[in-house]
Amino acid sequence: MRTLVRFFAFVGLLLALVVSARAAVTAKYRAYGENVLHVYNWGDYIDPALLERFQEETGIRVVYETFDSNEEMLAKLRQGGTSYDVAVPSDYAIQRLIREGLLLPLDHDRLPNLRYIDPRFLDLPFDPGNRYSVPYFWGTLGIAYRPDRVPFEIRSWRDLWSLDLRGQVLLVDGPREVVGIGLQTLGYSLNDADPAHLEEAKALLDTLVPNVKAIVGDEIRVLLAQDEASVGVIWSGDAKSVLEHNPSFEYVIPEEGSNIWFDNFVIPKTARNVEGAYKFINFFLDPEVAAQNAEYVGYATPNREAFALLPEEVTSDERFYPPEEVLRRLEVYLDLGRDAVARYNELFLEFKMHRK
Amino acid sequence: MWERTGGRLGKAYLVFVFFVLYAPILYLIAFSFNAGDTMYAWEGFSLDWYRELLNDERLLVIALNTLVIALASSILATVVGTAGALLIGMSEARRRRETLLLLNNVLLVSPDVQIGISFLLLFTLAGIALGEGSVLLAHVAFSVPIVVLMVLPQVEKMPKTLLDAAYDLGASHRDVLFRVILPYITPGILAGFFMALTYSFDDFAVTFFVTGGGFSTLPVEIYSRARRGVSLELNALSALLFLLSFAFAFGYYWIQRREMRPRSEARR
Repeated sequence: MRTLVRFFAFVGLLLALVVSARAAVTAKYRAYGENVLHVYNWGDYIDPALLERFQEETGIRVVYETFDSNEEMLAKLRQGGTSYDVAVPSDYAIQRLIREGLLLPLDHDRLPNLRYIDPRFLDLPFDPGNRYSVPYFWGTLGIAYRPDRVPFEIRSWRDLWSLDLRGQVLLVDGPREVVGIGLQTLGYSLNDADPAHLEEAKALLDTLVPNVKAIVGDEIRVLLAQDEASVGVIWSGDAKSVLEHNPSFEYVIPEEGSNIWFDNFVIPKTARNVEGAYKFINFFLDPEVAAQNAEYVGYATPNREAFALLPEEVTSDERFYPPEEVLRRLEVYLDLGRDAVARYNELFLEFKMHRK
Repeated sequence: MWERTGGRLGKAYLVFVFFVLYAPILYLIAFSFNAGDTMYAWEGFSLDWYRELLNDERLLVIALNTLVIALASSILATVVGTAGALLIGMSEARRRRETLLLLNNVLLVSPDVQIGISFLLLFTLAGIALGEGSVLLAHVAFSVPIVVLMVLPQVEKMPKTLLDAAYDLGASHRDVLFRVILPYITPGILAGFFMALTYSFDDFAVTFFVTGGGFSTLPVEIYSRARRGVSLELNALSALLFLLSFAFAFGYYWIQRREMRPRSEARR
């Protein structure tokens, strides 16, 4: 018995120690009192120094939480167990949130910095008139490859089918992305939900299987950077980091077109600190702040003034800031509704199970 | 003869198995001292990542959160689980005992994801806000069956005559519990505590569903950071946690060893 008592006394002491250590670390937050803002964003998708600056300037303490898929974020917002004041979902997820009535309509008068956003990135199909969302970052889906290892120049989705690429291609693990490749190669829209077209795309994709080395998640960046494959279908931001680590790589947006995506600020209906949320969004719309953030994150900024502040070598890079004519070929994912999403998932699963 | 070759083979096999188990961890730890910022190439020795880790307040708070939850939930789970194991073990009716044990074991083998979702639904229904409290509750809940499993064998091993003797000598229920039963099953309780501690410490699936309100634990945080490529800062953190796990394991064996001694000395 004495052992037990002594042991748990020791554990209790340890617990008290850890609790007080935590209190010591968070002591300075106490000054903020109730003035807290809950932000829900993708992992490592904001410059921490800017969060600090926002806290100092406004006296609002930011509690920063991260998610790593739109679906996860949707689930947490729907569940309502916690109240977030600002969240950063992607286009189709925003559409779904709007439809489910989970977002607060935005008062544009309280976001004066909205005028810095490039009009090209406003009034998009997933949120006409930007009634609920404000652009944060955007990017594309494309092909990263090593020109020195591939005997021809890759320019289109169709090139992925080349016999030279046997067992060389890595694909992102996403139904919309992969089925979309099939659809676009056939000349259909990325938002096509016609079952016949989807079947056709799937049949085409099945012939791609011999070229596919693997279908992978976020580790695709590391795999490419470490030369595990010469070709990868990848997001522009990820591609940028691959290119930084392994300069032999090149990134192209296929000429058939591709997906352009937007991550936007929204204010969920359950927000408690709406005042702070507006301040936060407006702060990140400030050109200087947005430019610094874009340099940290590496994705493309929709902020026209921030764009002008970025170094020439960044903004002139057409791979990541594609010119108008390329932009015109890009499509935003629309929320296709439950049935179509299920069909996409099913086809993608069948594709993944397809035997060579 | 078999014994000799078998022994050598066995040793080689053991070395191999331990190599497979420890090589990735050692590789990870080695790179926490890298001067470069990737795991692709070694660029020289530095302590930069440890410095960065100490300056990353958010990560430190999350690490401390993880420890608080692990310690608090395993203490609570040990209390509840030990009581449960005593109830199950002392139960006279065989049928009831087996049913209880079965129910306990079902919880042990159910997938974490399922447990996590169930908790999320329950907390939502009950109107419990997600945060430190919900995580603690969930961790206590999934640790209790583990403690029961570790304590129960000790309870069953305990000779009934021991209790009879104690009662015959005039011990009250209280005395029997605190002076006979608990000392006897102490090794099981400690094992249960440490198992609960490790389970809580590295739980991802359940925690993932029930975190919120700015409260997060290391597994959840590391997972969401891994999406954008793991910074070597996390290697540094992993190295420290690895040391901590070693300390836990050593602590456990040390106590176990001490625990063995007093019982033989008690005869004096």
